[in-house]
Amino acid sequence: MLYPADLKYSKTHEWVDVVSGVATVGISDFAQDALGDVVFVNLPAVGDEVVAGESFGDVESVKAVSDLICPVTGVVCAVNEELDDAPENLNKDPYGAWIIKVKDITDEEELLDAAAYEAFCAEEG
Amino acid sequence: MIEKIALYESAGYDPYRNLAIEQHLLEQVKPGECILYLWQNQNTVVIGRNQNAWKECRTSLLEEEGGHLARRLSGGGAVFHDLGNLNFTFLVPQTDYDLDRQFSVIQEAVRSFDIPAEKSGRNDVLSAGRKFSGNAFYRNGTQAYHHGTLLVDVDMQKMGRYLNPSKAKLQSKGVDSVRSRVVNLRELNPDVTIESLKSAMADAFSKVYGLPLEYLSEDALDRDYVESLYQQNSSWEWLYGQKIPFTFEWEERFPWGGIQIALQVENGIVQQAKVYSDAMDWCLAPKLETALIGSRFSKEALRERITSSEIGVEEDLYQMLETV
Repeated sequence: MLYPADLKYSKTHEWVDVVSGVATVGISDFAQDALGDVVFVNLPAVGDEVVAGESFGDVESVKAVSDLICPVTGVVCAVNEELDDAPENLNKDPYGAWIIKVKDITDEEELLDAAAYEAFCAEEG
Repeated sequence: MIEKIALYESAGYDPYRNLAIEQHLLEQVKPGECILYLWQNQNTVVIGRNQNAWKECRTSLLEEEGGHLARRLSGGGAVFHDLGNLNFTFLVPQTDYDLDRQFSVIQEAVRSFDIPAEKSGRNDVLSAGRKFSGNAFYRNGTQAYHHGTLLVDVDMQKMGRYLNPSKAKLQSKGVDSVRSRVVNLRELNPDVTIESLKSAMADAFSKVYGLPLEYLSEDALDRDYVESLYQQNSSWEWLYGQKIPFTFEWEERFPWGGIQIALQVENGIVQQAKVYSDAMDWCLAPKLETALIGSRFSKEALRERITSSEIGVEEDLYQMLETV
């Protein structure tokens, strides 16, 4: 299981990388492993407003539909449309296959660093 | 760990309200608690969260016969509900979600009628190779539910008709349904009725969790909130207006020539239309294309657009729309 040290993580298993005011959001290795094979990703549209702690889309895997919870509040400025055709990228490369980018960030959830997130995952089993 | 179990039974048969109650119960389930929700829908096709309504269901036929199309939060394929079907939902905090334990409640309940029941794959419960229960799952980040059908005495003929998609070509990303060999429990033991199965589910729930059952009344629900979820669940946008683009194609031959129409639909609205015809003197293709663009993708809306285009072969085109 990988926990890249340069990222921040939410307790609902999304990762976030903020560079020059733009947050890139994806799901963690732990999350993709728990989901099993992803068959569809329901993405928001560019321009949509997203709210920290609230759903911004969902991932359907062979096990369940799981809401994606946004770690930040802001406006979607890019979506990874490759996931429309290749949802399995979330399994293959969870830290490469980002889901959305968010700008105009006004708020963020309580986020964990890599070490704290790894400990949190160990507890969840 | 589950320390408290409760049962809620819906009194109504409206799918949008029942799904609203399900979501509301999910959001209010507390740590250490598991709620079993029992509910029935009258004449309804329920599609999965990421399915295309037109691809999975003959929506016009269903509506004409007074049925409803509903969309659930969980994944998977399309199912048909009538009053011969009993739905159950286990609602729990995500940390207490235990699929095997929940499935064993279903198996226990069915076995109390001396009907063998085995779990098959992730989603189905079978008896002697035939499916009587289809299951699906949803997680909102904090809580999770596991719900499913129990076929007691479902009208299989209707099921087959509504879930049989049209012959027109629809191409879309999303999740496709898988056909199964199904069986009504009533056929396996005539003692199984909706009422007897409800009480078997309640008994099995209490037995498997080793806890006494509490009964929730309607007072446990926030009516205004259920009403707002009801509006959402029955809205055209939620049912049909999904972001996932799709294309729909018809091809038909008439005495005046052949015609092919291809529509590209996004958010339930026609974004592009292409019309081809081999009728020699027919130069109305661009006019029809213009008329169709911007229309909602529904039989009624497309029909209005065709009428307003005044291209002279309206009756034939209305006939083509019957497959929508």
